[in-house]
Amino acid sequence: MTVVDDILAEKDFEKIRKETETNYREYLNPFALRMFKNAGLDVIEGRREGACVWDISGEKYIDCVTGAGIFNAGRHNREITDALKKALDVYDMGGWISIIRERGLLAKKLAQITPGNLKYSIFCCGGGEAVEVAIKLARGHTGKTEIICMENGYHGVTGFALPATGREVYKKPFAPLTPGYIHVPFNDLDAVKSAITKDTAAVLLEPVQGEGGIRPADDSYLAGLRKLCTENEILLIFDEVQTGFGRTGKMFCAEHSGVTPDIMVLAKSMSGGLYPISCAVFTEEISDFLYSHPFIIINSFGGTSLACLTALATIEYIEKNNLPERAVQMGKRFMEGLLALKKNFPELVVDVRGKGLMLGIEFPEDSIGPRMACLLKKNGVISIYTFNNPKIIRIMPSLVITEEEVDFVIDAFDKSLKEIRAQEAGRNMKGAGK
Amino acid sequence: MATSDEIMEALADFKEQCNGNKRLRRMQRDWTKVLHYAAVDTGDKFTMTVREGEILSNEKGAAGTPDVIIEGESETLCNMFWGDINPTQMYLKGEIKVKGTQEDIMRIDAITAIIWPEV
Ligand SMILES: Cc1ncc(COP(=O)(O)O)c(C=O)c1O
Repeated sequence: MTVVDDILAEKDFEKIRKETETNYREYLNPFALRMFKNAGLDVIEGRREGACVWDISGEKYIDCVTGAGIFNAGRHNREITDALKKALDVYDMGGWISIIRERGLLAKKLAQITPGNLKYSIFCCGGGEAVEVAIKLARGHTGKTEIICMENGYHGVTGFALPATGREVYKKPFAPLTPGYIHVPFNDLDAVKSAITKDTAAVLLEPVQGEGGIRPADDSYLAGLRKLCTENEILLIFDEVQTGFGRTGKMFCAEHSGVTPDIMVLAKSMSGGLYPISCAVFTEEISDFLYSHPFIIINSFGGTSLACLTALATIEYIEKNNLPERAVQMGKRFMEGLLALKKNFPELVVDVRGKGLMLGIEFPEDSIGPRMACLLKKNGVISIYTFNNPKIIRIMPSLVITEEEVDFVIDAFDKSLKEIRAQEAGRNMKGAGK
Repeated sequence: MATSDEIMEALADFKEQCNGNKRLRRMQRDWTKVLHYAAVDTGDKFTMTVREGEILSNEKGAAGTPDVIIEGESETLCNMFWGDINPTQMYLKGEIKVKGTQEDIMRIDAITAIIWPEV
């Protein structure tokens, strides 16, 4: 018997809830707990399966957040779990200063499935860390310093990634940050053109801005960026942390536009939702930097045996079940439902947009995003507004979501919007009566 | 319904509580804002000026350019400044409207969480 047996054996959910809330309050982040509770998002995750998560009390929800794209292959995917279990029976993580077979196999697989001439990989654990690698490679390879990034972009909060994130609130308390980052409006080619200098090393962007409010870049914009970068010997970096691994209806979002970046950043769903791993995949030309500097972009836990085997099993699962195509089909079904909501609630739904199963619904004011999240939970759906733009609720379920579950989510949106409409009407009547 | 004097009284207490709380002042030291409060039922307006976490003044009327506008029934605003209600819960019910950023509403909630942890 270990501590794990004891923890997993506890079934008294009231006791678990109390203990967990106390631990959050006393040892983690008391204000975050308060925010979760205020927003009605105080689900303590118990069982997880497919597109669903159950609160420890047994209440079932459809998870439309999925950790912003961690669980493309489904919550607690059994096949991938079994693969990881097998790996655990044979291996530990593996040493970082040693040669690991699984690391090579995964790098080769990524070279095969990523678009164009992307070929070499450096592995890390989190998305932010992989963005850092991309920026270091860009500076190291080009010998130039400036990184052009996008307003409202999100690339994580670690050292070299944080300055790229396009919102002051994440950065202000930690100044001074690494210099050399310039932010321009998203989807505006002229803005990038004007920002380019002789020192520009790279342009970094998400092909669909996630936290910025589910905003897809236009194909023509991406093609324009590609041309601009090539002409000026600037690297193009796509952060596909949220959009990768089938989310938008292709294995990688870059495939929609046919534009291949010089570096692609991957994380989240690469882990199968089971074992953290992330990476920067880049061209052979950029890999030249590694000849002169083979051991300066390093870490202890990136690309371990266990992580690589899990990632290989995840990719196999995504390919075998053709999850990108599933994202297209289910995305279509969602979009039909969302467009109907837009028609039925014109005063509340300003826009619906997205690609595949990376969808957003925009409301006319900030407060409606958080209010909707609250009501959706009451109606059996977990969703949350995008961090850089609370007007938008994201819909990013697991790609294994069924048609019935899609319809359930649309119905939950319908009910929640009706409640908002009733709240607003109640207030207007109160106002008129005064 | 709360009168404008009643709201001013609640605001004065709120100011005293905030400014007298060392922990809060340290936490909020990067918060410099002009806030307007508008009572939608009575039409009364108030201006709160905060500099580096210190509430410098509360005045009747809407003065200066606000960073944040908070609207609600006079009673709701009054209760909020007395610490009788949780502002985020009111916000999420649509009882309080905030024009400004999500961070600012969280800051206001953080202030009340420190002064009145049980609310
Ligand atoms: C587009 C994008 N890039 C990078 C990151 C950072 O990833 P991580 O939180 O794993 O560091 C995120 C996280 O949500 C993201 O959405």
